[in-house]
Amino acid sequence: MITLDARLRSNETTLAVVAVVGYTALVVTSGGSLLSGSAIETFFAYLAVPVLIGLAQLVALAVGQMNLSVGALGGFVACAGGVAMAQHGVPVWLAVPGALALGAFVGVLNGLLVVLTRINGFIVTLATMTILTGLQYELVGTTTVSDYSPVLRDLGRAAIFHIPVVFLVALAAAVVLAVFLRRAVPGRHLLASGGNPLAARLSGISNNRSIVVAHALSGLLIGVAAVVTLASAPGVNQSIGGDWLLASFAAPIIGGVALSGGAVSVSGTVLAAVIIRLVDVARAQFSLNPSWVNFVVGAVVLGTVVLTHRRGAA
Amino acid sequence: MLIAQDLVKLFPGVRALDGASLRIEPGSVHALLGENGAGKSTLIKILTGVYRPDGGTLSVGGVEVHLDSPQAASRAGVGVVHQERNLVPEFSIGENIVLQRLPAKGGLLDRAAIRAEAKRCLDLLDLDLDPDRRVRGLPVSQLQLIEVAKALSMDSSVLLLDEPTTASTPSEVERLFEVIRKLRDNGTAVLFVSHKLEEVYELCDTVTVLRDGVSVLESTPLADLAKQDLISAMVGRAHSAVDLPARPAVTAEPVLELSAVSTAAGHRDISLSLRPGEILGLYGLVGAGRSELAKAVLGLSAITAGELRVRGKAVNIKDVRDALRGHRIGYVPEDRKEEGLFLDQPVTKNIAVAVWDRLRTRIGGVSAKSERALAETYVERLGIRLSSTDKLVGELSGGNQQKVSLAKWLAAETEILIIDEPTVGIDVRTKAAFHELIWQLATDGLAVLLITSDLVEMVTLADRIVVMRDFHVCGEVVNDHEYEPTSHRVMGLIHQDAE
Repeated sequence: MITLDARLRSNETTLAVVAVVGYTALVVTSGGSLLSGSAIETFFAYLAVPVLIGLAQLVALAVGQMNLSVGALGGFVACAGGVAMAQHGVPVWLAVPGALALGAFVGVLNGLLVVLTRINGFIVTLATMTILTGLQYELVGTTTVSDYSPVLRDLGRAAIFHIPVVFLVALAAAVVLAVFLRRAVPGRHLLASGGNPLAARLSGISNNRSIVVAHALSGLLIGVAAVVTLASAPGVNQSIGGDWLLASFAAPIIGGVALSGGAVSVSGTVLAAVIIRLVDVARAQFSLNPSWVNFVVGAVVLGTVVLTHRRGAA
Repeated sequence: MLIAQDLVKLFPGVRALDGASLRIEPGSVHALLGENGAGKSTLIKILTGVYRPDGGTLSVGGVEVHLDSPQAASRAGVGVVHQERNLVPEFSIGENIVLQRLPAKGGLLDRAAIRAEAKRCLDLLDLDLDPDRRVRGLPVSQLQLIEVAKALSMDSSVLLLDEPTTASTPSEVERLFEVIRKLRDNGTAVLFVSHKLEEVYELCDTVTVLRDGVSVLESTPLADLAKQDLISAMVGRAHSAVDLPARPAVTAEPVLELSAVSTAAGHRDISLSLRPGEILGLYGLVGAGRSELAKAVLGLSAITAGELRVRGKAVNIKDVRDALRGHRIGYVPEDRKEEGLFLDQPVTKNIAVAVWDRLRTRIGGVSAKSERALAETYVERLGIRLSSTDKLVGELSGGNQQKVSLAKWLAAETEILIIDEPTVGIDVRTKAAFHELIWQLATDGLAVLLITSDLVEMVTLADRIVVMRDFHVCGEVVNDHEYEPTSHRVMGLIHQDAE
């Protein structure tokens, strides 16, 4: 049984408290302007991509891998989708599933490369990251593609009770992923492979399959993030995805996901993404230098890792 | 019932098993004994489907089986508790127990079924544990009992326990034994692998002893055997020992003395002395605290009581650097690839690394010429066969690698050298050459503290053998280089409480 005490002391509770206190503080210092409908919409609209890429990294970390190609793959898929719709007349109902499939496909390639070559996932995804960045540039060059599917653009701006649809998509992805990792047999196999590969192998679980599944899911979630970007960004160009990599690691690490694999927290990752977003809002509100945001996020990531390490050693 | 008949397993250059047989009856506990390297682990791996045998047959419950995967073994009813911890820390006790076939309904885990099945297995062992509790943070002893429950979840008729008591306290061992007896009384055939003869006598009904991959005693009732018979079966006769000429008796004052030393690592009241020109052996079973003692001498774990004297003076060694620079004590670690060598660096750098300070030129760099000259001196002295000293150490054979790690310490002008398991994974011929080398170095005046689990090697090289057990010294044997009497005396000291 998980006692109330344990729940109160859990990482997720701490993060939730920090998020609520932080949001309240910003509401108070902004004189309440953060409570307006449009402010709430903006807040959550910009949260969708950080949540999705955090989850994409979480799945890779769950199995004991890393995915460095998060940003490059996201940028490539977004640009490919934009170019396909704007320049080749691909209809949106085909482009969206196509983008998701492309993300998952590259994820499978990442996984297969790791499994077949036995090369560290760090190196494999570093290589695919570089290749994908090149492909993204090849697709769009220095231009920005923006004249595609009005339907998708409208959906990107739509909101239900001031909660943007794109954020609901990210939240739905989080819920599905949480259920998959907690309740589905392949999800449990994935976590067993990450937590103790030897035990998993001796229990008849294929660690190779777990690695491929994890990378495929990671790619699929990046595909979702790319579609969200297509829908909500003013256009797609060569810079899309450029700043995703740090963010994709920051959320799961602050959220309590073990770098060594096997221990994940989907809710912690979502909450950490909220907190990082709050730092960004605070920056805008107090017109701080943007580089401070990176400084703060970097410091928090480092602090979290040190703390987890200490706790692990104790 | 499990019957293994004439199992053979070949590895490149070694016959790990060469006709191993055993027969485990239902409702009995069968002991598997053997020295390090006798083939116990290989046999266990074959019985659990990790290795496939190159010859021989296996049958479970009267049916011949081919176990080509761990799953095949568990389907055949062979459950195993491995030496390594095989639980997933973030999962619940229940999920760990049924991990081999997670029950699902409509693609999702069936939690109720997991709980029920786990409860059933835990009840078989009279274990009062909550199946929903997470495994992380549980004490080691409980982890082990959970692994037994996991092995039972597949309705195993045969249960293998691979050295289950290595890290347990006496009360934990007692609890485990209760569980094993209960399983035995319910008709399970249990195989108990252990180093500890007293446990074997307490628990087991029959015994198989492996030596050099052969069953020298096969499925014999334990009641018919005295401790001495088991030891004789385990150690056998030496057949690969090199005959080295006798060395003159050493009379010089000791260079290294430990008197009544206790350490933070857990050693109690250790006394020994080592003279120049002498090879002092440290023998004991795995976990007796030999390497840990070496590390305490090097300052890697604190000495909490007693005195460490080097060349007659009480000293307090701070770390490895201090041991080397201040006291000329070198350490050739057991795991040369992990701890001793830079595999992707050339031989020159590996030999010179400990003395770069001395080779430093006036402007602060290290002269490649003096490095090479130094390396060549020792390559020649130790007979390391190389095309060039620029060769990367990773490309050398195991024996030559070991020689390079020795050369490094000689180049550093050590006078006391601690050598830990020097010939693990080295072929017989290189081993013999290496033995001659250590012998020669000692004859030239080096003081050698030799740690080895290979009793033949020990009797070949050591002048005296200090026997350790559970982090204390249980006796000392003067080696007359006659394998049989010496090895019997050593094993007698280790197993003196058994019967």
